[in-house]
Amino acid sequence: MALRTWASSIANALRVSLLDGLKYASSHEWVKLDGSVVTIGITDHAQDHLGEVVFVEVPEAGGSMAQGTSYGAVESVKATSDVNSPISGDIVEVNTKPSEVPGLINSSPYQEGWMIKVKASNPSELESLMDPKEYTKSCEEEHAAR
Amino acid sequence: MRIVRSLKVWKLGTVNYLQALKLQDKLVSDRKAHKITDTLLALQHPPTYTLGKRRTDHNLLVSEDDLRSIGAELHYTQRGGDITFHGPHQAVLYPIISLRDLGLGARKYVEKLELTMIELASLYGVKARAGERGETGVWVGDRKIGAIGVRISSAITSHGLAFNIDPDLNYFKHIVPCGIAEKDVTSLRKEINMVLPNEELIQDQLISCFANVFGFSDIVWKNNSSLADS
Repeated sequence: MALRTWASSIANALRVSLLDGLKYASSHEWVKLDGSVVTIGITDHAQDHLGEVVFVEVPEAGGSMAQGTSYGAVESVKATSDVNSPISGDIVEVNTKPSEVPGLINSSPYQEGWMIKVKASNPSELESLMDPKEYTKSCEEEHAAR
Repeated sequence: MRIVRSLKVWKLGTVNYLQALKLQDKLVSDRKAHKITDTLLALQHPPTYTLGKRRTDHNLLVSEDDLRSIGAELHYTQRGGDITFHGPHQAVLYPIISLRDLGLGARKYVEKLELTMIELASLYGVKARAGERGETGVWVGDRKIGAIGVRISSAITSHGLAFNIDPDLNYFKHIVPCGIAEKDVTSLRKEINMVLPNEELIQDQLISCFANVFGFSDIVWKNNSSLADS
């Protein structure tokens, strides 16, 4: 497929693993590589466990972030949950729609509910993220802990 | 094999809000670094009004100067939830626990905090229930007896719940509690209209309800705790 070939040549240029769709962090954020810019949001599993989202806080574009640090917060059922960045880099774009319509995080976590776009400063960090199968397993293990 | 979950309980007496916040920040940091086990702070506050991350100060009906003149403090916090009041004779619990280890999401965590207070109320024959959608907290009829506002950072919790044993309910008149107008606030004392046992006993019962609901079977009490210990 043309898209996969193109992605793989970009991936080779950046010396990261080939991404098959999205990659995931154990803290329930997803990333989508698009050239050198990574789109980040929270997963469907995350939004389901949060409950109805009533408030979303995202940063301003232009700042930079280290892997594992918080870039924003989401409020649901009287709980504010920090959302952490799976990678380091500069924030190049921020989605303001969820701040206006917080429910987008619930209804469309992978599309309209995307939160920030980051120019990855250390593409090798992407290698430590999980593919869909590994992420699913991680969620199952968490569930079993109950 | 059943996992034995351990909970360290700090009974702190009356603590200034900012001091309690400072302690929580340190404990959250320690918990994230796996330096400590799941911890529960049990305390009361002097008269204090607090706002959540959304800064809904339109629900404060008087000025900050007015609050100061009645001897109360006002604080803006990072917790979820709307405006609330904390004060003497209100039992406050701040769990610093790992939701990941418990396999809980925010919604389930809050439901269990509600259940904790519902169980305590039932010990006194008071039939409390969780709030409807958008009215998180614990209610007796349409009177609110318990409030919740939490923060979750990398799956570690802070802030928590407040249960009205017998606080001066007049303090709630200066706010729209939790942003819900036309609903009253109540207390255990008001609901049973009897002399209550010693408050420390009620607080201990609340702690036991928490441990029970969350499955902590090993409780370690840090009695006579003071902030100097931290």
